[in-house]
Amino acid sequence: MAVIEVTDLTKRYAGQTVLNGISFSVEEGEIFGILGPNGTGKTTTVECVEGLRRPDGGTIRVLGLDPIKDGRELRELIGVQLQHTQLPENIKVWEALDLYASFYANPRDWRELLEQWGLADKRNARFGKLSGGQKQRLFIALALVGNPKVAFLDELTTGLDPQARRATWEVIKQVRASGVTVVLVSHFMDEVEELCDRVAVFDGGDIVALDTPAGLIDGVDAEHQMRFRLMTGDASLLSEVPGVTGVTTKGDQVVVTGRGDFATAVTAALARNHVMVADLRIDKRTLDDAFVALTGRSLHL
Amino acid sequence: MTKLTVVELKLLVREPGSMFTILLPLFILVIFGSSIPPGDTVLLPMTLAIAVGLVGLYLVPTTLATYRERGILRRLSTTPVRPRNLLIVQLLLQLVLAVTACALLLAVAGTILGAHLPTRVVPVVVAFALGTAAMFAIGLLIAAVAPNGRTANGVGVLLYFPMAFLAGLMQPADKMPVILARIGEYTPLGAFRQTLQDVWAGASPNPLLLGVMAAYAVIISVAAAKFFRWE
Repeated sequence: MAVIEVTDLTKRYAGQTVLNGISFSVEEGEIFGILGPNGTGKTTTVECVEGLRRPDGGTIRVLGLDPIKDGRELRELIGVQLQHTQLPENIKVWEALDLYASFYANPRDWRELLEQWGLADKRNARFGKLSGGQKQRLFIALALVGNPKVAFLDELTTGLDPQARRATWEVIKQVRASGVTVVLVSHFMDEVEELCDRVAVFDGGDIVALDTPAGLIDGVDAEHQMRFRLMTGDASLLSEVPGVTGVTTKGDQVVVTGRGDFATAVTAALARNHVMVADLRIDKRTLDDAFVALTGRSLHL
Repeated sequence: MTKLTVVELKLLVREPGSMFTILLPLFILVIFGSSIPPGDTVLLPMTLAIAVGLVGLYLVPTTLATYRERGILRRLSTTPVRPRNLLIVQLLLQLVLAVTACALLLAVAGTILGAHLPTRVVPVVVAFALGTAAMFAIGLLIAAVAPNGRTANGVGVLLYFPMAFLAGLMQPADKMPVILARIGEYTPLGAFRQTLQDVWAGASPNPLLLGVMAAYAVIISVAAAKFFRWE
């Protein structure tokens, strides 16, 4: 069942088209990624879906509700973590959770969230005294305190150290396991690859691709490389192997360039011809490569 | 709403600015109050106007603009609670703060300093209500147009000093040049101070001054509502 259905959504600011008639749907219980560089309409899309902004065209249904017309009803059912929002400096962690829980008809027990998000020992700390990671975890907990059916998380792990990011990912997986549909806005490839069931790639106000992370990676016809050290025999036979586009040899170091699943064919050819190699490495294709292929530029410039 | 009010009240108490707006007028009252004649009708109205002016021009805009700047109003608009509720709660609490500051001034002046207190309550309440409404309206307008909390604070303070000067809060109005004192009566803070002073002296409030305050309250509130941005 589709939890979110967006059809031909357009949005313009001051004559500038920000969203160019995009369509997508999010299924129940999945983590849906919205990926793209800043300024490509990701946040605008999510804000329209949340009912924070009024679309200029198209239709949006979230849990069967219109975010503008049925806003009141919808806000009981969604949880939101926004980019660039803060809390008052002097509010204590437990007060914020208790307060936000009071906004909803059927909230979760915020004490559980305090434990789950590792904030139990910060219960009485003031917001202004929290570290970046603690603030971020509090925002996520606040997004979940209303016991939402859909959670929107915008730039989830910005400002977190690598260890805290991994920990956050694990808890997000638990959130999905508990049946909450998650919409994740991100510009981190590794995060999207790790967490998302499906990803919409945004570029210039359009969705340029929508697939599973693996599907996006496989769909890319980009060249990649494998390298090894030659122990015996000759590597020149490899240029005949299907998918291989180039073989360069420098001393005993060999670099083979190719497309698709050429690496399997290369290793098979080496074994067949009794060529012994060592230190075999295959450059894994990543979502980064897929992104560059789709948009013609890298996210991390 | 109850929880929101309780939390906002706690935040207001934790905010050093609220203490400042209560203590500064009290400080002025005590310092000058010890050396003025018992029948004085000038000092207490002055300090009351200072207290209301500080809340309206300093606390109201700074708090509200900071809430918008920090995205708190926007975050609220994704919950079942409307951000409007937060503004209402804040304004009510700021009103409570202004009343508290004034009550404290009256209590200290009436007991320790043995100052003169007016016997008719209604004119005092009317003057207080109109004066507070006018000052809060200005505070709201600042909050509406200021891009962030710091600017709102700066504008509030910047407006406070000339207004307090014209209103006769820096020195008694009868020691000011006549022309400035006349202009001052058409400023909200000046009309407020003069009305209180009239009431303290036993006279009825001047309808013109009440009208001045009401006009400021209405016109500036409308402007604030028109210009207010939630994000």
